[in-house]
Amino acid sequence: MADLPLTGNLGSARASSREIFAGKRFSRWLDRRIPPKNRITLTQKNVFIFPTKTGFAFGVLIGLLILGAINYQASLVYGVAFLLGSLFLVTILYTFRNLAGLTLELSGTRPGFVDEDVEISIRITRPKGRAREGIQLGWPEGIMQWAELSELASDVVRLYVRAPARGYFNPGRLLVETYFPLGLLRAWTWVDLDVRALVYPKPIFGEYPRSVSGHRDEGQLIDPLGSDDFNDIKAYRPGDPIRNIIWRSYARSDELMVKEYASYVEPRLWLSLETVEGKLEEKVSRLTGLALKATREEREFGLDLGTTRISPSRGESHLEQVLKELALHGLR
Amino acid sequence: MASAEAVGNPGMTPAAGTAEEASGAIGIAHQIPRNTLALLMMAQVAVIAPYLQQLSVWIIAVGLFCGLWRTNVYLGRWDYPKRWLKAVLVVACLGGVAISGVGAFSLEAMASLLVSMFALKLIEMKSRRDAYVVIFLGYFAIAIQFLFEQQLLLAIYQLVAFTLVTAAMVSLNQLQATARSWPSLKLASLLVLQAVPLTLVMFMLFPRIAPLWTVPLPGSSVTGLSDVVKPGDIANLTQSDELAFRVVVDGQMPPPSHRYWRGLVFSDFEDGGWKARERRRARDYPMPRSTDLRYEVLLEPTMQTWLYALENSTSEHSNVYLTLDGRLESKDPIMSVFRYRAVQHQADRRGGQLSESERIRETSIDPDANPRLQALGKALLAEHGSPMAMTRAILMQIREQPFSYTLSPPLYPGRDSFDGFWFDGRAGFCEHYASAFVYMMRSAGIPARLVGGYLGGEVNQVSGYLMVRQYDAHAWAEFYDPQLGWFRVDPTAAVAPERVEQGLTAALSSSDLASLPLLSSARIGDWDLAGDVLRWMDSIEHRWNLWVVGYDSNVQYRFLSDLLGEVTAARIGVAVLIGGGIGLGLVAVVIFWGRRPANRHPVERAFRRFSNALAGYGYAKEPEESPAAFVRRVAGQVGLTEAQVGPIIAELDTLLYNPGVASGGRELRALRSQLRRLQFRLAFGAAR
Repeated sequence: MADLPLTGNLGSARASSREIFAGKRFSRWLDRRIPPKNRITLTQKNVFIFPTKTGFAFGVLIGLLILGAINYQASLVYGVAFLLGSLFLVTILYTFRNLAGLTLELSGTRPGFVDEDVEISIRITRPKGRAREGIQLGWPEGIMQWAELSELASDVVRLYVRAPARGYFNPGRLLVETYFPLGLLRAWTWVDLDVRALVYPKPIFGEYPRSVSGHRDEGQLIDPLGSDDFNDIKAYRPGDPIRNIIWRSYARSDELMVKEYASYVEPRLWLSLETVEGKLEEKVSRLTGLALKATREEREFGLDLGTTRISPSRGESHLEQVLKELALHGLR
Repeated sequence: MASAEAVGNPGMTPAAGTAEEASGAIGIAHQIPRNTLALLMMAQVAVIAPYLQQLSVWIIAVGLFCGLWRTNVYLGRWDYPKRWLKAVLVVACLGGVAISGVGAFSLEAMASLLVSMFALKLIEMKSRRDAYVVIFLGYFAIAIQFLFEQQLLLAIYQLVAFTLVTAAMVSLNQLQATARSWPSLKLASLLVLQAVPLTLVMFMLFPRIAPLWTVPLPGSSVTGLSDVVKPGDIANLTQSDELAFRVVVDGQMPPPSHRYWRGLVFSDFEDGGWKARERRRARDYPMPRSTDLRYEVLLEPTMQTWLYALENSTSEHSNVYLTLDGRLESKDPIMSVFRYRAVQHQADRRGGQLSESERIRETSIDPDANPRLQALGKALLAEHGSPMAMTRAILMQIREQPFSYTLSPPLYPGRDSFDGFWFDGRAGFCEHYASAFVYMMRSAGIPARLVGGYLGGEVNQVSGYLMVRQYDAHAWAEFYDPQLGWFRVDPTAAVAPERVEQGLTAALSSSDLASLPLLSSARIGDWDLAGDVLRWMDSIEHRWNLWVVGYDSNVQYRFLSDLLGEVTAARIGVAVLIGGGIGLGLVAVVIFWGRRPANRHPVERAFRRFSNALAGYGYAKEPEESPAAFVRRVAGQVGLTEAQVGPIIAELDTLLYNPGVASGGRELRALRSQLRRLQFRLAFGAAR
């Protein structure tokens, strides 16, 4: 268990829970009992409950008090012990009730890069009635998040899980647990919300392939109204940008003149597996790095993976499309 | 280790974590929420306060000091105490307990340690695990307080303290941001309230068994008779109006002059005082008859084994036996209110022969002490012939000579103190008269002994039971007559007959009365309203003792016999199941069904059916979506036009927010059929 990543406050607890449910039989049993679904409502069929260490210590306390009551023949010490015992029993109902009836639903995912966190949003909804407090959600690999549904009937909890490899990532079963109201008992469940979070390759940043490095001279005019390079001076027409007006010449003559700019881009950048070195994974990583770099520098680029081609463009949505292709390359 | 951790609470995992844990949202799991601290500090004050009666002031001072320190840490003014300071405090507390004079293994020492631990833990409490330790110590301290006293008022107070401690525990498990103190307190009160029925079931049915081993007892704080009596001891008891015991009599309450509650028989004269040592069991038990007087005593804790009963009484209580000198004795010290039934045998005078060793013991005196009294005793016997006649002569002397009955007699020092009283001072309290009488009888060779106990008691007019208080303590004498057996003589009756007939206050002079405690009910007995209130309160306290504090194995057996017909394991098991089922069932009903939405609006119901049906086709309504927005969205997805769904949406909106829609009305039926048609169209659209 030492080599498991012990992240988060519940590291050891969750790592060992993971060990438990890594057991194939348990996993199969769990699959039968709580089958994977995007939306799961918790009932007595899929909620487990057991005393915590605090709960067992509480039991020892009750035992000590009963022993004292016997030896001192003190009725009210019995009374305190029984009140504590009853509190424990009542708490069983409360703890179970805190999870029962909750509906968990996969609300959305946001992609991330390998070795970084992907964001998975879970919508948690309570039925009408009593508020739900102190609910903790999380994957064994991630951090437990607290949720509380008192005034709200529904809330979205964002969870972050370290992504191990590119492609679609299913973090496995989600742990939902609660210690409410006294911390003496733990009610928990492992639900599989059938999460498919997209994981982009881990980027390796490098230089653009030499063959496509562009020069100004070879530039191609793509936007005569751009703002990069000075092009011409002409008479003002309504609609021309005011910042381009040459006010100095207006002071001299009564005529409005405007500077005309144009934008040039460097030649189209094609990202393809042949232009980078390394094995497949490394190539994919390098292309990912180049796509990110090009986007940061606002360069236009296209992707050519042989089987798929994305024509050159710019912007976030283009990048997402490219990254998705890179993430899934060779995995479908 | 691994599996144990798996079921562990975040609060119970070790606090020492990585830097990552110390910051951000993760920290929630380890840090103690601020309002938990506030609740814990309140709870601590509440739990320690009743200990003011039992513990030395310095322990309370340590508690206050720690509370002050912690409050300042809480407010961000001070830092946590340094390690050396904590060590100094711990050593100081241990040392303080050791040198404070209470026995190392006494209950007081235990309680002192518990309370100081409870206080000290507060200033070093950082993690949630520490908070749980403090909470558990709090529960423990609440219970230990009941070893000292178990009055109803204290019990009510402790229930409040219990709720405070529980509230601190609740707040540990609520989200920090929203956990204000009030919701925690509310929930804790609810939890405690809901636990009460189950507690009662357990309290009634849990088998009460005999102590497993002997335990340290509370120290000298209990007032009451002691098994060593010197002149002046009993007069001191009259300064206390504490309750000694209550008696419930079946049938007629005996008149005051018959209420001699025997507790101790002082057969041994040593060092100018009397000692009661006899603990041996009597050999034969008389059988009770139907004419005998039956009564039940609820004895307040004495930390002693002797019990109080009328003369010639026996008890069938399994823990009570009859001694050779005709007293009732408990097998274990009385640490909590003790209930025992007894029978006073009317016929049996308990005569029988005195053995030679008994005769020697009951006539032994110090031959050198009180020579004048010895001479008087011998002379009186020679003059009157029989012990009975001699007794009458002694009582006549008391009556005729200027003897006086007083709470504050002069001190009669030295070995010949009885002589000093009888011949010089002639002012004394009951034990003076009884001692002098016994001494004279013994000097004449007649077996006689001093008896200590209580005389009289006040009948509570509210409930008809008898309250016997410490100031009813009394001493009288018995002498042995071969025909009559042991015969009671109360020389006090000769000097102050009012004491026997009407109680202490009637017999005392006004200066003696003034020395009694101010608020004793003896003094305000004539102030009616206050007297009534006191009697009412005592009546309630009596019920409390009868059913709660005095509920032991014997009472339990009788109660269960009445309840179940016969006490068998199977029947108790069934009672546990039924009682527990009802107790938990009530709670389950409250928390699972108690807050179901009541009587939903009929249109809302109709719409809910509709939206549930659509959810089956994959169109789930978002929680924040209004009904209109939901229909519009689904219609749009399926391809229906606004013209097609507009009227239905308008109708839905109108009816939904109209509180006056009748559940069987025409409008509602129309809407329902419209919704059904829409559902079909949407479903058809979905299939396409």
